[in-house]
Amino acid sequence: MEKQTIDTIVGTLDKRMNRQLQQYLDICARCSICKDSCHQYVATGDLKYLPARRSELIRQIYRKYFTKAGEFVPALYEARDPDENLLDELYDSAYACTGCRRCMYYCPFSIDNAWVVAAAKGILIAAGRGNEMVSQLTDAALFKADNMEMFNDIIVSGFADVEKELEEETGRHIPIPVDVAGADILYVALAGSHSIKPAAMIFDAAGANWTLSKFEAANYGFFLGDPAKAKLIADRFMNEAKALGVKEVVITECGHAYRVAEMFYEAWAKEKMPFKVRHILEVIDEYIKDGRITVDPRAIKERVTYHDPCQIGRNGGIYEQPRDIVKAIAPDFADMTPNRETQWCCGGGGGIVAMEEFNDVRIKSGGKKVEQIKATGATVLACPCENCRLQIAELNDVHDLGLRIVPVMELVAEAMVGPSAGPAA
Amino acid sequence: MDWFSQLTSGIGVYVALVVFTGGMAWRAWQWSRTPRSAVRLALYPKPKTAAGRFGKLLVDTFAAPQSFRIAPAIMVAAVLFHVAALAAFVGHLRLVHEFTPLVAVLGVEGMNTFAAWSGGAAGIIMLAAVLYWLGRRTFGAYKNLSVPEDYLLLALLLGIVLMGDHLRFVGGLHAATYQAWFASLMQFRPAFPAELASSTTRYALDWHMLFVDAFLIYFPFSKLTHAIGAFATNLVRSSE
Repeated sequence: MEKQTIDTIVGTLDKRMNRQLQQYLDICARCSICKDSCHQYVATGDLKYLPARRSELIRQIYRKYFTKAGEFVPALYEARDPDENLLDELYDSAYACTGCRRCMYYCPFSIDNAWVVAAAKGILIAAGRGNEMVSQLTDAALFKADNMEMFNDIIVSGFADVEKELEEETGRHIPIPVDVAGADILYVALAGSHSIKPAAMIFDAAGANWTLSKFEAANYGFFLGDPAKAKLIADRFMNEAKALGVKEVVITECGHAYRVAEMFYEAWAKEKMPFKVRHILEVIDEYIKDGRITVDPRAIKERVTYHDPCQIGRNGGIYEQPRDIVKAIAPDFADMTPNRETQWCCGGGGGIVAMEEFNDVRIKSGGKKVEQIKATGATVLACPCENCRLQIAELNDVHDLGLRIVPVMELVAEAMVGPSAGPAA
Repeated sequence: MDWFSQLTSGIGVYVALVVFTGGMAWRAWQWSRTPRSAVRLALYPKPKTAAGRFGKLLVDTFAAPQSFRIAPAIMVAAVLFHVAALAAFVGHLRLVHEFTPLVAVLGVEGMNTFAAWSGGAAGIIMLAAVLYWLGRRTFGAYKNLSVPEDYLLLALLLGIVLMGDHLRFVGGLHAATYQAWFASLMQFRPAFPAELASSTTRYALDWHMLFVDAFLIYFPFSKLTHAIGAFATNLVRSSE
């Protein structure tokens, strides 16, 4: 590998260095307790998917260039210059990682291998080895933000079409407001109407003063591992929220989008936002408990189970609100085992569903989730994350699970009684 | 003291202590100078109060209940080893000063018997744990994850424990002999008392100290900095 490339890689690691990353690289005992926590390693037994190994590749560069001991006695630490072989393995292990952080939960030192993987992705990008598909999706999102005047009319007329669809489905006019200055809520949905229609029905029924963002919540810059681009993508709706003067930004049922907005954005922007960020299920749970919307407690007759998306649960702290919502509309609720902070990743996080080269390991690594779902005997899976839904839908086909996989808010829209009730989505 | 004893059980002890203390302080200073991650890296659920977070930090660091659930065998070995090592360390403090309150209760003979049993148990537990780790790392499915550093540390620990156990079970010298040697170290005039100097046990002591010195010197440059780093990383787990 050329010296210039090595310098770029080392410089990138230097730029990404912070206290936590340094400590994670310094103290890992390579005890491999993490091996049984990772759905990919459990499914494949392949060393490159062992969480500590994912970090070890970065550790080898760190030891060589950031520690005197590694510089003088590299063999002791297997410290080395980055080369094509290292980058090949790094690509597979870093972009396959779903960032579920189950390994961090079980690590006796709480080493966040996903944080090290984030640095690894930065190195891959700097070396020109970032994932191409995710990179293109990232650039497309940024192009949209940079050329909003070109897209504005198309987006607004698209929302009007969704409004018409909703009217045809429910028999009532349910508005989808856009650009409402001073609204209480800026709702950030995903591309497509499936995350807009049920939310519109719920906001309408609750009498909420809301407005729909013109930008989708999905953030491929985050999956790519490029915080600068990820920030620019999130800037689109954060700046929109500031301009409209809303009280809160509500993120749709999308795991990583919620984590980006709630956990990462202020750190990236280096400023405190003048509004709070909430997940849509926190809002809906509040509406039900406050009596702002009325739901039929026996609306969903089938047995329902709930999947904790890693970015909302273990990494976002939202465990009970979705369960309370589902229990409020489905009398036959069966939780998976394990659940909450120990739940298994479905295998579809971290943008892996967009990377065809990982299809085999992705489907294989969903095995634990399939076992969990089967054990509940449920025929409906409530799942508040788009990537998880895509992954579990594929597992559903492969393993013939016979599941109906739905966003939680879609179940709520089905269960609503009163003025805004009616078939949605 | 011959040159080897001087190197291992004399001057080497001072060098090891200086490098260990300075190295660990340097490592902590290095970490403190590196900016914290601005991004929140906590896991949920987490305690809401500072006291709760501190309590969780202690539980996570000293008991690691999550790790126990997923890997009970290695965690049992780890906890037994650490507890035994702590007990052995406390026992070694007897070289600095006799545990007079315990002697008052147990009597001189009783104290020696207690020390023999507790020290012996600690030595056997540590030996078993180190052998288990060595076997796990050498024959386990993930041996490819291991690097020479892992084996070096285990080899040093094995040397310390084997020689320590030799002193405990075969050496035949009483604490007072070692106390005299230790007193000379404290007075910066390292010397073996006559009983030790004339005994072949001193070779075991020299080798024990060689491994201890090397272990302490290498400690700050190894993964063993988890001894202080784990407090920081476990705190991040439940940080605000």
